[in-house]
Amino acid sequence: MSGDKMVMRAWTRAQSRLGRRPAMPVVACGMLAGLVAVGQAWCVASILARGLAGPASARWPGAGLLLAALAGLAAVRALLMAGGDMAAARAGQQARRRLRDEVLAAILRGGPALLRRRHSAELTALAVDRIEALDGFFARWIPASVLWIAVPALIAALAAVAQPGAAAIMILCGLAVPVGQAVFGIGAAVASRNQFLAMTRLQARFLDRVRGIATIVLLNRADDEAGRLAAAADELRRRTMKILRVAFLSSASIDCAMVVALVLIVVRDGGVVQLLRHGGSPAALADAAARSLFVLLLVPEFFAPLRALALAYQDRAHAAGAASAMGDLPDAPAQAAPARDALPALAAGGVAVAFAHVTFAWDAARGPVLDDLSFAVGAGEILTLVGPSGAGKSTIIEMLLGFIVPDSGQVLVGGADLAAMAPATQSALVSWIGQKPVLFAGTLRENILFARPDADEHALRAALDAASVDRFLADLPQGLDTPIGEGGFGLSGGQAQRVAIARAYLKDAKLLLLDEPTAHLDPETEGEILASLRVLARGRTVILSSHAAGARAFAGPCLDLGLDLGQPGALAPRPVPVEEGRHVHV
Amino acid sequence: MSMSDRAPAEHAPSTGLDPILRVLALWRGRAPRLAAGAFLSLLALLAALVLMRGAGARVAALAFGGAVAGMGLLRVSGVARVVLRYVERLVTHDAMFRALADLRVWFFRRLAGGAAAGLGFRRAGDLLSRLVSDVEALDGLYLRIMVPLAGACLVLPFLVVAILPVDPLLAAIVGGLFAAGAFLLPLAAALMGRREAAILTHRLADLRIGVLDLVTGLREIRAFGAEGRMMSHARARDAALLRGQARQARLLALMGGASYLCGQAAMLAVLAAILGVGLGPIPAARGIGLLFLVLAGFESAGGLTRAGALAGGISRAAARVVAVGETDGPPVIAGTQPAPPGTDIRFEQVSFRWQADRAPVFDGLNLDIRQGTRVAILGPSGIGKSTLAALLLKVAAPGAGRITLGGQDLATLDSVSVRRRMAWLSQATHLFADTIRANLLLGRPEASEADLWTALDRAQMGDTVRALPDGLDAWLGEGGASLSGGQGRRIALARTLLSDAPILILDEPATGLDGETERAFLTTLYDVTAGRTVILIAHRLVGVEKLDRVWRLADGRAVAAAV
Repeated sequence: MSGDKMVMRAWTRAQSRLGRRPAMPVVACGMLAGLVAVGQAWCVASILARGLAGPASARWPGAGLLLAALAGLAAVRALLMAGGDMAAARAGQQARRRLRDEVLAAILRGGPALLRRRHSAELTALAVDRIEALDGFFARWIPASVLWIAVPALIAALAAVAQPGAAAIMILCGLAVPVGQAVFGIGAAVASRNQFLAMTRLQARFLDRVRGIATIVLLNRADDEAGRLAAAADELRRRTMKILRVAFLSSASIDCAMVVALVLIVVRDGGVVQLLRHGGSPAALADAAARSLFVLLLVPEFFAPLRALALAYQDRAHAAGAASAMGDLPDAPAQAAPARDALPALAAGGVAVAFAHVTFAWDAARGPVLDDLSFAVGAGEILTLVGPSGAGKSTIIEMLLGFIVPDSGQVLVGGADLAAMAPATQSALVSWIGQKPVLFAGTLRENILFARPDADEHALRAALDAASVDRFLADLPQGLDTPIGEGGFGLSGGQAQRVAIARAYLKDAKLLLLDEPTAHLDPETEGEILASLRVLARGRTVILSSHAAGARAFAGPCLDLGLDLGQPGALAPRPVPVEEGRHVHV
Repeated sequence: MSMSDRAPAEHAPSTGLDPILRVLALWRGRAPRLAAGAFLSLLALLAALVLMRGAGARVAALAFGGAVAGMGLLRVSGVARVVLRYVERLVTHDAMFRALADLRVWFFRRLAGGAAAGLGFRRAGDLLSRLVSDVEALDGLYLRIMVPLAGACLVLPFLVVAILPVDPLLAAIVGGLFAAGAFLLPLAAALMGRREAAILTHRLADLRIGVLDLVTGLREIRAFGAEGRMMSHARARDAALLRGQARQARLLALMGGASYLCGQAAMLAVLAAILGVGLGPIPAARGIGLLFLVLAGFESAGGLTRAGALAGGISRAAARVVAVGETDGPPVIAGTQPAPPGTDIRFEQVSFRWQADRAPVFDGLNLDIRQGTRVAILGPSGIGKSTLAALLLKVAAPGAGRITLGGQDLATLDSVSVRRRMAWLSQATHLFADTIRANLLLGRPEASEADLWTALDRAQMGDTVRALPDGLDAWLGEGGASLSGGQGRRIALARTLLSDAPILILDEPATGLDGETERAFLTTLYDVTAGRTVILIAHRLVGVEKLDRVWRLADGRAVAAAV
């Protein structure tokens, strides 16, 4: 927990440093506005003192001038306020752009492995909402953290010139504020984190339920789910209220301090006026009234920056909460890009692949899913991985994709260690077709060109042809430019798989990885897709994972990752001694 | 990713008052709390006005050497004001968030009501944005617009009545300035900011969709080395959002300045009246009281201008939230009758097409499935096997002809009670990010532990789950990510088998099973479904099924085939 706190503190400090420079104009505007406020108070106090001295002295020639000066100051202050607001917005935007970039880069760096630990809604909430919520930290908190001392100090100093005693009262009451803040602010960061957790939970639940909404409706579970959503939404409300209660309390405490200051100054001045009335001249009385009013009018201005600080306090809490959420993401530098780049040897008809004593466990509790596995596939050969679900077929594919790295042992592609390759080299090497391709928002054309955006029309046509996409193209309302919904609505499973095949064609990599490409298809479609895949496989090395008998139609050896179901070893295969013939040489 | 920056397709961009009124109607249940909050808020405002007026008068009296008597009262009302303000903010915010929570639940129910056929082209990311950001933006409707507006309606007469006996002209000027600051400027801001605020709502949704695409597509992105492209795409969406926000911030800043100037102008007018320049003169003591009152009054209305600039976004958010139930699928008549006890199913001359411009799926389809029989419906993909199930479950309604359940027209039957009679394993059955147990219990919430294991065993999945360290409480992950495709499919099958519905519709239940397991499953299916109607929808038969009847779909009709 204390380590977590340290991370939070370090992050907040680093961000404050980065945010300080853009906050400078905001601070400057705030300081100048404070100065103008003093001028305004002085003008108003002078006018009122004149007025109080009697109607005769009110009609003195300087009156119009004073009113004009007041109007001018008000205009300057309005400009300063607007300028400060705009500068603050700019600072917030700049920081959000930078942070969102960092988070998205970290998510991309983390890659698919990240999705095993975090729900996609959670990551999205982090990159979108969490960062939007940080706006206040940069736009409000950082300037406020300077202004809350600078402006009251300025005002108190100028007030001291008029009435040192009243200035002392102001400062004393003002000092009570940070103490109150510290008391109320305890746990604010925790409250913010809890609130965000509640928000994330609500989002993840909703996204998940919405994706399966048809299942819920047809199981007649919509009411139950609505009830659970209501509970999640109510939890969010309670967490949010907890944060707000702190914010309201601290702003109420500032109101209290301000009222106390006002009352004390009035009481004190009352005494002074009483004294003067007994032996002072009218001029001295008017001067005393002017000073008294001047200081009174300054009191709200004195407390305004403190109030802004209290309001911004929850922004700081949000930042502290964000720090711990972002701490989970993979770090920027280091292992992401190996300094050296091992280059694989490519043959005309594919690339050789070998696993050497590879061990890997997803979860230590479940035991290794691959245990000292060794096999080799020659360039242009086809290896079919068979075995029941969960035997490690997908694990092998993900390892070849570079999503995961072996706990021990080596994966060699084209004779080079996969782990030593630069990410670009790695990804240029392989094409992959999984069980269900992700179709992005956009048109069919854009989705196919995803594999190679710079492909020309000719290459695109060739890919469409080879993947038999043209077979269903005529059925789509706008042909290639038909928009495709999330999860590929509008395309059947077989059609979506054809998009994936077309992508693989465009990419034209030497190693083709097929991860149960027909698992979700009916046998007839499966046959058609397999026929297309066989064409795609020409001139490439293919590693196919399949449990369906139909997939054995691919020529070539099988690697059986048989699973002993009776063993409490879970989804892991038995240990695979190399001598037992599991060592396949092709 | 995507790639094009088309504006999301939206039906009828209704930005008027209509969606706002619908949202307000939905908040009826919370009306007492919301009203109480507004009332407290007005009370706090009134206390502040009275206090400021008194304070001003007292300051003036003090300067004249008047008694310091009212000091105690000042202190009491000062404290009352602080306390009232605190309570008021708590109550209004709490009431608001309760109403928002209700709205989120309503949103989900509404979505569920029209989504038996799935999400269609509506994107989950967009829906998420509506549930999260748009609903959240609606808090401004009450907290930033309605409550302060009610306050302004209270302040205006208060100001005018207080100043009128002193100086009618001054009352007119201050009243006019207040109306400008509290009503006209916000209206102007609303008109100027309407377009921008509405666009921003969409830009935020676009960003969320883009990021969600990036996150769900991480495998594809890594496999195709598309990190750079996806990043620049997300960046472009972010930049569009930030640009819009910058424009809005500029408008907000200018409007804030203008609203401040209104207050200052009113203050100047009072001061001028005190000095007798152009106005007045008025007695200084009363003038100071008025000055304090005016300052407090304008301060209370200060936020309205900003709220006005955001009103366009609020109205757009309301429109997006209430639009959720609008679906474009074929109309299904929601019946009212409970389903009869009998479960004979008949299709009589049923015709159906998904879209008017598409070829009919069925054309004069006749089927007769008796209670407790086991039938198979065969045909190649795309022939309408899944559509048949959709019609039975009232996800879609026939264009012509009728379907009866237990002798009654399906159209007259309540869809909930119809669905209670049928358990459907569809091709697209979803696994939720939850435990295996919770996923199974969706099929029958009251099922016992033993029932769960039986269902898993029948789906040929019991041994696998038993071998998991957490057993039934193993976490499935997003979309069943921690299982392989075949295992996930079998969990879904177990969920369907768990249901005690008298009719089981199994759409390609053997998908994802290897040949041996498929045979084993189909063999046991006969034993476990004794007495229940089983409709097996498949591409082909393996030969081990024990069926009473087999139909083959062709040309929009069903032809009886040899068992």
